[in-house]
Amino acid sequence: MNPALLRDERLLDLLVKQATEGITLEEQAEMERLLAAHPGADREEIARVAASLALVGVEEEPMPAELRDRVRADAALWITRREAKVADLGAKREAQREPVVRELPVRGRSSPWPWLATAASLLVAIGALYWRPDVQQVQVPPPAPEPVTPSQEREHLLAHGAGVINAPWTNTEDPASAGVTGDVVWDNAAQKGYLRFTGLAPNDPGKFQYQLWIFDAKQDERYPIDGGVFDVPAGATEVVVPIDPKIAVAQPVMFAVTIEKPGGVVVSGREHIVALAKAAAAG
Amino acid sequence: MAELVLKRIAQGDPRAVSECIDEFGGLVWALARRLTRTRADAEDAVQEIFTDVWRSAGRFDASQGSEKVFISTIARRRLIDRLRRSRNEPATEPVDVLDLADWSEPGSRAEVCVEAERAAKAVAQLRPEQQKVLQLGILNGMTHSEIAASTGMPLGTVKTNMRRGLIQVRELMQVLVDARGEVDS
Repeated sequence: MNPALLRDERLLDLLVKQATEGITLEEQAEMERLLAAHPGADREEIARVAASLALVGVEEEPMPAELRDRVRADAALWITRREAKVADLGAKREAQREPVVRELPVRGRSSPWPWLATAASLLVAIGALYWRPDVQQVQVPPPAPEPVTPSQEREHLLAHGAGVINAPWTNTEDPASAGVTGDVVWDNAAQKGYLRFTGLAPNDPGKFQYQLWIFDAKQDERYPIDGGVFDVPAGATEVVVPIDPKIAVAQPVMFAVTIEKPGGVVVSGREHIVALAKAAAAG
Repeated sequence: MAELVLKRIAQGDPRAVSECIDEFGGLVWALARRLTRTRADAEDAVQEIFTDVWRSAGRFDASQGSEKVFISTIARRRLIDRLRRSRNEPATEPVDVLDLADWSEPGSRAEVCVEAERAAKAVAQLRPEQQKVLQLGILNGMTHSEIAASTGMPLGTVKTNMRRGLIQVRELMQVLVDARGEVDS
């Protein structure tokens, strides 16, 4: 362990507390500030020691069959999503990388003859209509495609998805909810969707983050599905955020956004609910 | 030697995800049962833990520990978070009366991985009060305040024992790693 970190009593206290009983939002923020003074420090070391101790004497026992099936179903969904993301990313990169043949006029003193031969064969192959003696083949990258923004993807989903849910945000009594407008777009068949906000205050991700919760009719109301954490950058007038549910959503009935510690939480204390939307399929 | 399952998950091998469930399901379930108040809670926790493990597989570094320790670290973080939340909520269904887990004669039995073996040997060398604090906090998920109330130790003493105990265990485990290295060389 970094000796300087060992001398930082408060940071050590927080790392120990995090590894043994968990820390509050404020403590998390404080810990991040203190860790910033120790670049390269192994922040997980205390947690690994605690994890090693937790393994002492542990007796593994088979998971119940029904639970194993549920975890396998989660795995299948996770793999599908990951592969879709990889394919999507790959397609975008390929589109940016794939060269196209452009014809440019020869400049300078280079000999035209090798290029003439190439050009001639190309022109013959395509049944050229014109004789253009000063032509060379060069490979240049195509113009970069316009990036597809979450906003565009949202519009596309809304326009083309059948049975897509489109639910407006309603405000709560939380002060942070005042002036928040926008909506949720969710395609349950595709397990894909977007949140749109105006008026949601920008956040410092080191202090707190917004987290989406999806209430599912098939799940215990106390444990809504984690829909992912997100940030609102300073200066943004409208933000569109992709929904990132951690498990499959069966029958969404309500969407809620809470303020949570950086990185989000597993179960929200629901102290700060800043937006609510009741699900209803779009026209 | 077969490639580690977490590395294969990070590389995009879908079979590795399934193998991960088979290989570590029993461990995650055992850890979840130990630190949750109901069976339903444990089942929900296991689902969350596995999703977290797959998403975090790319962070696994074999030079820092085994896959079991990596997964146990993730599992504990989730379980501790759930425990914290559940303390703030009234129980709405019957909760299991959990037996207090302890390290009976640590180091006297086969452990699930080499780090657990080292940790068992290390914890056996701690003072009894340090062992007790670590046992109640780490094995049973008790907060420092709960340990203080349970043992009668002042809260400050509990915190000191917890911190010093963990650091000592870490140092003793490192001594065992170094000794192993000398034997191997």
